[in-house]
Amino acid sequence: MDDSARRLLQRIMRRIPAQMLKPTLDKWGRLTAAQRQSMDFTESKWALTEKLLAICEENEMTVKHITELEMIHVIENPDHCMWYALQLMDPEEDVHSVELTQFKEQFKSHLRELIRHVSIKIKKHTDEAVWIRIAWGDSFSRPNHLKPTYVVHHLQTPYVFVTSLTSKLKPLLSQALVLSTRYQAIKDASLSGRKLTAIRDLLMRQYQQVFPTKYPSPLAENDQNASNILINKEQAELAASRHQKAREAFGDGMLPQLQSAVYKLETKFRDHTNKTMTEREEAFRCVVKFASTNLLESLRHCASSGIASTPGTSLLSSIPLKGRNYFVITDNSPGPSSQTRQPSN
Amino acid sequence: MMSLLKPFSKLPGLNTANILLVENEEQFQQSLADVLVEETSVTVTVRLAKSLPLPMENDESRPRIDLVVFIMNLTSELSFQSAEASLKYLDPGYFLGKVCFMVTNARNASVPTERLDAVRKLAASLHCPLLFAEDQTPDGVTSATERLLTVLKVAAGLVPTTTALYLSNLTRCTLPPDIDQPSFD
Repeated sequence: MDDSARRLLQRIMRRIPAQMLKPTLDKWGRLTAAQRQSMDFTESKWALTEKLLAICEENEMTVKHITELEMIHVIENPDHCMWYALQLMDPEEDVHSVELTQFKEQFKSHLRELIRHVSIKIKKHTDEAVWIRIAWGDSFSRPNHLKPTYVVHHLQTPYVFVTSLTSKLKPLLSQALVLSTRYQAIKDASLSGRKLTAIRDLLMRQYQQVFPTKYPSPLAENDQNASNILINKEQAELAASRHQKAREAFGDGMLPQLQSAVYKLETKFRDHTNKTMTEREEAFRCVVKFASTNLLESLRHCASSGIASTPGTSLLSSIPLKGRNYFVITDNSPGPSSQTRQPSN
Repeated sequence: MMSLLKPFSKLPGLNTANILLVENEEQFQQSLADVLVEETSVTVTVRLAKSLPLPMENDESRPRIDLVVFIMNLTSELSFQSAEASLKYLDPGYFLGKVCFMVTNARNASVPTERLDAVRKLAASLHCPLLFAEDQTPDGVTSATERLLTVLKVAAGLVPTTTALYLSNLTRCTLPPDIDQPSFD
């Protein structure tokens, strides 16, 4: 086992939390029963790492095997890296006939055409997502397994999620993706976050949508008050309508756990009391960032509790409506509907 | 004004006291309501509102309100402003002992002294009692409820020897003479 494989294994062991070690190793399935027995999971992680290194040497494992372990861990715990959403554009006619084997073959061959030394591993997860691990090399060096890029694509959707990718390598990945999925272009979806499940659910609208209706079914009343006729809410209708509007704007039930939203303002400064700033010709550049453990839940609560007046500003409700959390606001646009985000390649 | 809530325009119920709790945040009022209705010696009904004016649709079915309590969270400026803005929708007759202010989070370090002073001045200028309550524990809720019930029973005319106006003379908020002096911070 060479040095890079050893380093990779040590790094993976550091990342996997102690209680997940046994299940992850079992899933990997590359240890014999005897070897599995010999691992005492009550020992310190350092001791376990040493033990595992020895076992891997014994089994003559290569870096390829170790990357399997890493991939298993990342698929189970995707929430530790930053994920960026991309959207495929302009489908070709045969886009609907793309299926897994074809996609795999095409992707690998296209990417290998573009860059000589690259290591690609593709795995289909149970939830219809295709996971791709890419270790990049260049004309002179072998693939660097310590800085892989992970790509998640749901077949039959135009959405792709990627982790760390330098601007040099982005065009190569984009090209390979576009060709293998039978689309014509790919763009940045202006959506990023640490929790893959959250950004995926937001973009693909996998949460409970509420559509405006003229006669909504009666909201489940506050149980306490319904049964107790001595307590009476005076403004129950108003409260119910606020709740309804909040749910229409943000959705019902559990919302995707988005954790931040960024608005980049390039608008002119406007304040009657401050002439010096208002007189400036150039736009006043400013970045507003909202952060929370569950941003969409907080925004919905602002609307339903009446802290923010309904209907809320379309700037905030654009987040679930458009499935993005990065907005650039300029003076020329009448609102976030005509946002332009410069594609970064 | 049509939307003024009036204290004596309806007949009282037998052995009944009706209390209106006004609170922008709509939290503490629910906990208080649950305990208030458990009172056995009189029938207590509770009306909950976020702010005044109250919806006109409920005017017919609404009983005579004996006591109006404005609940303010001292850590929120919005809470104070909402309560203050609601005051003008009460008939002046309520301010003769049928209005009470209740504040929470008075001990919170983030409360600016100006806000507490402003609440005190408001309560004192309207000759109303200012009660401090702790809303996070069941004990806090119970003791706040007991104090409200004491005032409520008098305001509903259920205590033979006293009236709301008389009681308010004893309970109303007064300002310390040095309220406008800068405090040690």
